[in-house]
Amino acid sequence: MAVLTAISSWTLADVQHFARRAGFGLTPEAAAGLQTLAPAAAIDAWIDGTGAAYDATAFTAALATADVVTEPLVTANASDAGSVDVPAVAAPHAFLVEGTDAWRNSLNTAQALCAWRMQHNPYPFQERMALFWHNLFATGWHKVDNAALMLKQYQLFRAQGLARFDDLLAAVSKDPAMCIWLDSVLNNASGTNIPNENYAREAMELYSLGADNGYNQTDITQLARALSGWSFTFAEADYIANPASPSQKRVANAHFKVYDGSSISPDTRLWWGGTGTTSYTMHGTGSIALFGQTFDITSTANGWAKGENALRAIVSVRGAQCAQFLAKRLLTHFVTTGYSTQDLSDVAAMIQASAFDLRAVMKTLLKSQYFFDVANHFALAEGPVSWLVRAARMLCPALTAGAAQTPKGYPAWRLVTSNATTFDQMGMSLLDPSGPNGWKEHAAWLNSNTMRYRTKVAAALAMNETRGYNGTTYPLFPTFVTTDWFPAAPATAQAVYDRLAALLQPGPMPAGVPAGWLAALWPATFTWDAASQAKARELAFLILCSPAGQLY
Amino acid sequence: MTTRREFIQTVGATGAALAGLSACGGGGKGSSGGGGTTQPPIPIPSAPILVIVNIDGGYDWLNVMPPNAGTNLSVYQTKRATLGITDTSLLTDLGNGAALNNDFTGMDILNAQGRVAWIPGIGMPNPNLSHFTAQDLWGQGAATPAGTGWLGRFADAAFSPAGDVLRGLTVTSDLILMLKGASRSFVSIPSAGGYVFPAYLFSGTALPDAALLETGWGSALGAASPDAGYQAAAQAGKLFFDAQNNAAFGAGGSIAARTPTVPYPGDAAYPIKRADNGGNLTGSLSRQFKLIAQMIAAGLPAQIYFSRLGGWDTHSNQAVDHPNLQRALGGSIKAFYDDLATITTATGVAQDRVMILAYSEFGRRVQENNGGTDHGTAGLSFCVGKAVKGGMYGGYPDLSNLDGNGNMKFTTDFRSFYATVLDRWLGQPTATTNTLLGSNYARLAFL
Repeated sequence: MAVLTAISSWTLADVQHFARRAGFGLTPEAAAGLQTLAPAAAIDAWIDGTGAAYDATAFTAALATADVVTEPLVTANASDAGSVDVPAVAAPHAFLVEGTDAWRNSLNTAQALCAWRMQHNPYPFQERMALFWHNLFATGWHKVDNAALMLKQYQLFRAQGLARFDDLLAAVSKDPAMCIWLDSVLNNASGTNIPNENYAREAMELYSLGADNGYNQTDITQLARALSGWSFTFAEADYIANPASPSQKRVANAHFKVYDGSSISPDTRLWWGGTGTTSYTMHGTGSIALFGQTFDITSTANGWAKGENALRAIVSVRGAQCAQFLAKRLLTHFVTTGYSTQDLSDVAAMIQASAFDLRAVMKTLLKSQYFFDVANHFALAEGPVSWLVRAARMLCPALTAGAAQTPKGYPAWRLVTSNATTFDQMGMSLLDPSGPNGWKEHAAWLNSNTMRYRTKVAAALAMNETRGYNGTTYPLFPTFVTTDWFPAAPATAQAVYDRLAALLQPGPMPAGVPAGWLAALWPATFTWDAASQAKARELAFLILCSPAGQLY
Repeated sequence: MTTRREFIQTVGATGAALAGLSACGGGGKGSSGGGGTTQPPIPIPSAPILVIVNIDGGYDWLNVMPPNAGTNLSVYQTKRATLGITDTSLLTDLGNGAALNNDFTGMDILNAQGRVAWIPGIGMPNPNLSHFTAQDLWGQGAATPAGTGWLGRFADAAFSPAGDVLRGLTVTSDLILMLKGASRSFVSIPSAGGYVFPAYLFSGTALPDAALLETGWGSALGAASPDAGYQAAAQAGKLFFDAQNNAAFGAGGSIAARTPTVPYPGDAAYPIKRADNGGNLTGSLSRQFKLIAQMIAAGLPAQIYFSRLGGWDTHSNQAVDHPNLQRALGGSIKAFYDDLATITTATGVAQDRVMILAYSEFGRRVQENNGGTDHGTAGLSFCVGKAVKGGMYGGYPDLSNLDGNGNMKFTTDFRSFYATVLDRWLGQPTATTNTLLGSNYARLAFL
């Protein structure tokens, strides 16, 4: 049974367990500081991104210098009665596409920006939840072919990752990147047209219920009809003939307006040159039978767009199945894959009782005795991106407003991500999962090839690799052994290991392994000199690459 | 080893009958180019190699091998009013009421040579139209042991746990369920160069001590941690080290360079271009095949290679995407097959030793919609090789007799396909094959 009542006290090991799962770990000093706080209040503040711990000054300043284009807020336009504005990314760091400046549409650059944010965001839970939702609502750049849209979706996860799940599901269903990814842009079910089932199927199978869990083929077809015409269009000046055609998929200005069927006035702009169809006329009408109930998809309901009541029925009518699905995903990412049937049932019941309020769900789960059970410490294998981010957070100096480590924030990450698709070779091409089912987690992260690439990036990080870029040589991950890793000089080889283990937090090591490494690295008298400092780098590399170093 | 065919046990009535109908057929009539004389199959070689091609995304094989006669044709014409391929000038007749889309580049030539065994209508009972469920079931092949695939279990049975690290390889960077065994998984080698520890990203000057890390891995393997992630990391790390230490790799952990003898799709010199804009086809599968050819030429002791071409989930824009995908798939197979003819290994000419097996998780809905096709059921698998008895095996689905969701009813269980390959290509005793697949499935007669 999963005991979901909150813990009342915590050890330093508990604090680090929490920080690894709900963020990207803490330095020993920061963890000790957090431990002095009452766990419930500290965890609330962590999840809410509030409290004294979150000084965003340097982060905000660095983002402001990032070489991205600012975007004016998109406002509702009375002449576009049928459109719903996509919330604009808050200035000043919106990331837009410009045909004249192709790098802005680069997957590599977008990946680097995401990873850099993970490394430096003082509110790490926001990034952790965004990563979680990115894996669940997995949308891939290789089909969307537009970095701005991918980053817009990612920002949606940051902004609404702790909303109610049905609100998040509705928002994702209107997201332009998702509309392209799963072909909502071509779901024409008006009249006798046959709906395109792709999004409706995955909305249930992959995003909310799970295969064979509370729906059938008829439900898929019916939901597809409810969501028909849920597409997006552009401001008049930004007309594109065919958003499904990569060769024409250039967005001059990110004034996306998602059409979700709520208008009673036709949208006169052609968006699909091949058929002359508008998103308005693609929407089916009448009523549908879904989950044994009838839903009107012609009218708006509860202020929702046409058909949205049907979409939300996934949560309202199939709440038990949806809660079970979410419980599985949350447990697999945040707690353990070794949950029992009863554990799953307990967490699912909690999700339903929390009315799918994700903030409440996460607070309950991450405060629970079940989460903190020592059996769940180091019970998961870490995904490659967050594994590397955590190591970078531990070994690289913190961001400071006055000392930009690399120009405009994130080119170092860009160098890492651009090298023979390193993220991809580690098994996780950020913003570009191979399919809509995202990445399998835990042991599935690890095979001979992904481990090979983990050794590569671990070497780059621990051994202070450099690379030239635009005439300047940069350390990929700037690290300083004496100032950051060892502010107090270690007196013994064992002290070197202890400090690095405290920073890198590997899982339990087999007996004798660290001792064997120390004996080989320091066979004679220990002196904290330059040679020993070089060996400390090698030891950090060994810890990072070890099987225990993959756990979190 | 030629007696392997004598290990034939239970030949399914359907497979045998239809094989009889088309024995060494498929070629000859209607062949559109370059075919020449149909040649008989060769004996199964002593060191056979199996190259798996995963046609990922569920391909619309009804447009690859459309019906061209009878009721099936009229149903197809009705349900594929805009996407259907019915112009006979675009098709090569295969007999048995089916034709080959000429966009499936080069496959008509291989077919005319009698080198292709087609299994239309291959599938499984009670499909739920999920990519992921279907892929897992194609991977598993049997329900037990959980978490293993049919080739992984083959590796468990056939590969030495202490060695044989390079006998099962995937040239993809992931490791799917199909390749996972209980004790022995495949090695992932997606590039020929630098398969070496520690493999700096850019500019390392002082190498970490490989021996120290290797010692750590060895200790980790022996530690027998109950944690699945720990075990996976330990096994994966050990596989990586064993592979990069293998003498089959050259100095520096790189396989000796080799220039293909023929242009592959994606190469500038490749004569077939994209159907829509004349640009180069995707070379993603070609690159994998070139790497496999390179590894075979280098003498790596691999018995099974796994490769993949994705992009087949054509819910939209099928009229543009599908011809290009077919050209890339068929062209890659034909180029690879030709390339293999010029590689001679210690155990013979590579073209004699290699059989290509292609599969997809399902076919697509018969009825088109909005420029694409939705998820369906039965698929088309095929094998290419000199030992293959070309022709069509199993029944072409009856398009006028669909299931309640408008999908085809499968005619050949995919495990019959596996059983045939395990018995007659990979040389497994019948009892072992049946154990690996959990039951005794009828064998097909193409080997």
